Amino acid sequence: MSIYENVFTQVQVHPKTPEEGLGGPIVDRERIGKPIISYWLGFIGNAQIGPLYLGTLGVFSLLFGFVAFEIIGLNMLASVHWDPIQFVRQLPWLALEPPKPEYGIKLFPPLAEGGWWLMAGFCMTMSVLLWWARVYRRAVALGLSTHMAWAFASAIWLMLCMGFIQPLLMGHFSEGVPFGIFPHLDWTAAFSLRYGNLYYNPFHMLSIAFLYGSALLFAMHGATILSVGRYGGEREVEQMVYRGTAAERAALFWRWTMGYNATMESIHRWGWWCAVLCPLTGGIGILLSGTVVDNWYLWAVQHNIAPSYPHVFPVTVDPAATGVPQ
Amino acid sequence: MKTTALLLGGVATALIGTALIFTPGWNLSKVHTVQTGYRGLSVGEMYTTKSEQLLKAANALPDAIDPAEAGGKKATEVYKNVKVLTDLSAAQFDRVMLGFAAWVGGEQGCNYCHNPENLADDNLYTKKVARSMIQMTRHINKDWQAHVQTTGVTCYTCHRGQPVPKGVWYKGADPKSKGAAATNYGMGHPSSVNGTTAMNTDPFSGILDGKDAIRVQASQALPTGFGAPLQKTEKTYSLMMAFSGGLGVNCTYCHGSRAFTNWTEGSPLRVNAWHGINMVRDLNANFLAPLQADWPANRLGPTGDGPKLYCLTCHQGAPKPLLGAKMAQDWAELGGVSVK
Amino acid sequence: MAMLNFEKKYRVRGGTLLGGDLFDFWVGPFYVGFFGVTTFIFSLVGVAMIAYGTALDHVWNIWQINIAPPDLKYGLGLAPLKEGGIWQIVTVCALGAFGSWALREVEICRKLGIGYHVPIAFGFAILAYTTLVVFRPVLMGAWGYGFPYGILSHLDWVSNTGYQYLHFHYNPAHMLAITFFFTTCLALAMHGAVIVSAANPRQGETVRPTEYEDWFFRDVVGYSIGTLGIHRLGLFLALSAVFWSAVCILISGPFWTKGWPEWWNWWLNLPIWR
Repeated sequence: MSIYENVFTQVQVHPKTPEEGLGGPIVDRERIGKPIISYWLGFIGNAQIGPLYLGTLGVFSLLFGFVAFEIIGLNMLASVHWDPIQFVRQLPWLALEPPKPEYGIKLFPPLAEGGWWLMAGFCMTMSVLLWWARVYRRAVALGLSTHMAWAFASAIWLMLCMGFIQPLLMGHFSEGVPFGIFPHLDWTAAFSLRYGNLYYNPFHMLSIAFLYGSALLFAMHGATILSVGRYGGEREVEQMVYRGTAAERAALFWRWTMGYNATMESIHRWGWWCAVLCPLTGGIGILLSGTVVDNWYLWAVQHNIAPSYPHVFPVTVDPAATGVPQ
Repeated sequence: MKTTALLLGGVATALIGTALIFTPGWNLSKVHTVQTGYRGLSVGEMYTTKSEQLLKAANALPDAIDPAEAGGKKATEVYKNVKVLTDLSAAQFDRVMLGFAAWVGGEQGCNYCHNPENLADDNLYTKKVARSMIQMTRHINKDWQAHVQTTGVTCYTCHRGQPVPKGVWYKGADPKSKGAAATNYGMGHPSSVNGTTAMNTDPFSGILDGKDAIRVQASQALPTGFGAPLQKTEKTYSLMMAFSGGLGVNCTYCHGSRAFTNWTEGSPLRVNAWHGINMVRDLNANFLAPLQADWPANRLGPTGDGPKLYCLTCHQGAPKPLLGAKMAQDWAELGGVSVK
Repeated sequence: MAMLNFEKKYRVRGGTLLGGDLFDFWVGPFYVGFFGVTTFIFSLVGVAMIAYGTALDHVWNIWQINIAPPDLKYGLGLAPLKEGGIWQIVTVCALGAFGSWALREVEICRKLGIGYHVPIAFGFAILAYTTLVVFRPVLMGAWGYGFPYGILSHLDWVSNTGYQYLHFHYNPAHMLAITFFFTTCLALAMHGAVIVSAANPRQGETVRPTEYEDWFFRDVVGYSIGTLGIHRLGLFLALSAVFWSAVCILISGPFWTKGWPEWWNWWLNLPIWR
């Protein structure tokens, strides 16, 4: 017996010309570009790409983003002596580092020693904040609530905690994240090393749990909706209003599996909170490091969280503490 | 157009896939680990038959040189201008010179340090350096047994037949960016020193030629002020990368990674490494730095300083130099300690 | 009590893979089935063994419980109970319980006449776990390479394993996995937000139907993947995160023994610019 397993769209149905958008008095907008239909995208989702909505906020957001991008890119290019080949070769390693510790939270350190970093950070932050306002305004314009904007705010919170608030509280912009692919990974590792192992930071634990939880929830939810796709389960809002057999089967699957089920609406609240709490708790974890706790491992030892293991070596002591002549 | 896109995508995927899988360094032979911690903690060094063979081949010993009598005429009586090896007999002195020619002289042999017309001539800078290095070798064997124990060192430990040992360091080059462009303090470029990371390309300055602290983790749970900055932490991490490369070991060789700074979490080998760091500081300050005026231009680094040493200089990528062979025991002339 | 008002008509017989009618019943909201019974037994034994191991260590502190695998010297053989044997039994129980759970999900799917997406997705998680405690240890030649069962002790294992390769962030598969995890989180927040905000519109508005979700996304980022597509994308992202996590640890050790940053030398040494 062959049954429909929902993996990709086998028969694509779309209007002859792409949709031009919801008009009318509720939504007043300026959309540019003629939407196109992509055959390949149609296999997994909507085939239509575009139109683009820019708006004043969007234009300024992109402008600030472009300036940040250029500051970072040109400084990286300068760091390989303006050699385009070395720029590509070393690109993942290239950095724009924050100010030296000596400059504290001075707003205008020399350009070569952190000034560019501050400017790039400022432009990037402006770009992101303007984009946030744009997300908020779009939701309002379409009569939707503003959940998207507040979820985005959670991500911005984490970004600002790492790059601005924690350094500010420490009194040194030098603690901020460098721009660069590998450099930001080195910063991450250094942050964990400096503050005595971030795995022992309970808010890092929570953040990771919410991150994995997000993957778990989205796998569960995505798989459930696809599995009831043959009953039209993907039209979730409609299923909330007029509960159909898709919603019922989806609910019963989890009820029978684990004794509990979410509903078509509540699963999205679960998902939203799980995803939002990941950067929210992560930001708290960053904020507490260095300001409230200096060594998470020792903190965990104090609070009886760290396990102890049988010693396989004779116990060693710090030779610097025993007065051995250097 | 669709077909072209599909073809291009396929070719790109195939190229990237091939590049990732067929890049050098992948290992297909059986790995064995020397477990050096409590079970389940994933602590230890990984070896393969191939890596062990390579290590062995890279650390082969030079041909032995027959021992010489300590009695008889003194070197000072036979040769002119002997300034350091004044305690040796002429026979011992000859033996040491044979060793130097084989271990350090390279292609030029004796003539690397000596004017063949007049062996007593001091005009070659290499001869002055050699005198200092002999004193350094004796100093290590006598005063740094905390690190080298009775295994000791000879010239060969570092030089391996080459006039300049592999693995010396100089102060970092000027950042390539000029004018107002960000200098990044030497970060953001891969090198063999920082282990191909984007951390400091010169993690040594101030630490191995000075007394700058290496430790960055707080020794108490709660803050007591602004401790080590993150940039300093990265410098220490990069330094540890250089140590790791120098010894051919991973971090867990010395450290329990859940609490790097905590001595009880790590292996006792860390104590040995600690003495090694102090030894390197001593040698750089008291033997390499004083030679600054003697180096010719081609031996200077990008900022004009002379060569300095670190772990790699002696270890050459092995946990123990020459895999722990006690070569110095046969070289009492160089201060080697013989243990029965 | 345990039944939803529409549930009764769905509670039909049949669809089982094993056991026929024998365990084809519900307990409260739970469906039992043959694999429900095996899940229960495996879980019970596994939890009991963890409790036993904890009792042996006298560590009655949830954070510090540590059921450690055997020493490497036992290779792929059985270890004495108190020297890692408990870990081996717990591992067998976990694999048995996870596998049973997946098969039970298959039975429930068959009863409800829905696709097998959930058990297949769960299969990826089981695969990742199996990679950590079976595939990699077998390739390396000792069960001792598995991770210890304990809230903090497994973190210590992760930490040490990472630093055995000097800087694990440079592991390319780890990079991919993390990127997929972050993207999954982003996509879930976006999907959850758009659905909740459409179902609970601004004051005075009616519930926003699907077109509004599409137009919101088109306005914000220029493309809306659509109601069906987002669930495919979400599932793909989540499973990719799991898959590449498994790959990143499987290659560490069996196929790569050096520092991960070094791996990138292939890029630096490409013939076009070396």
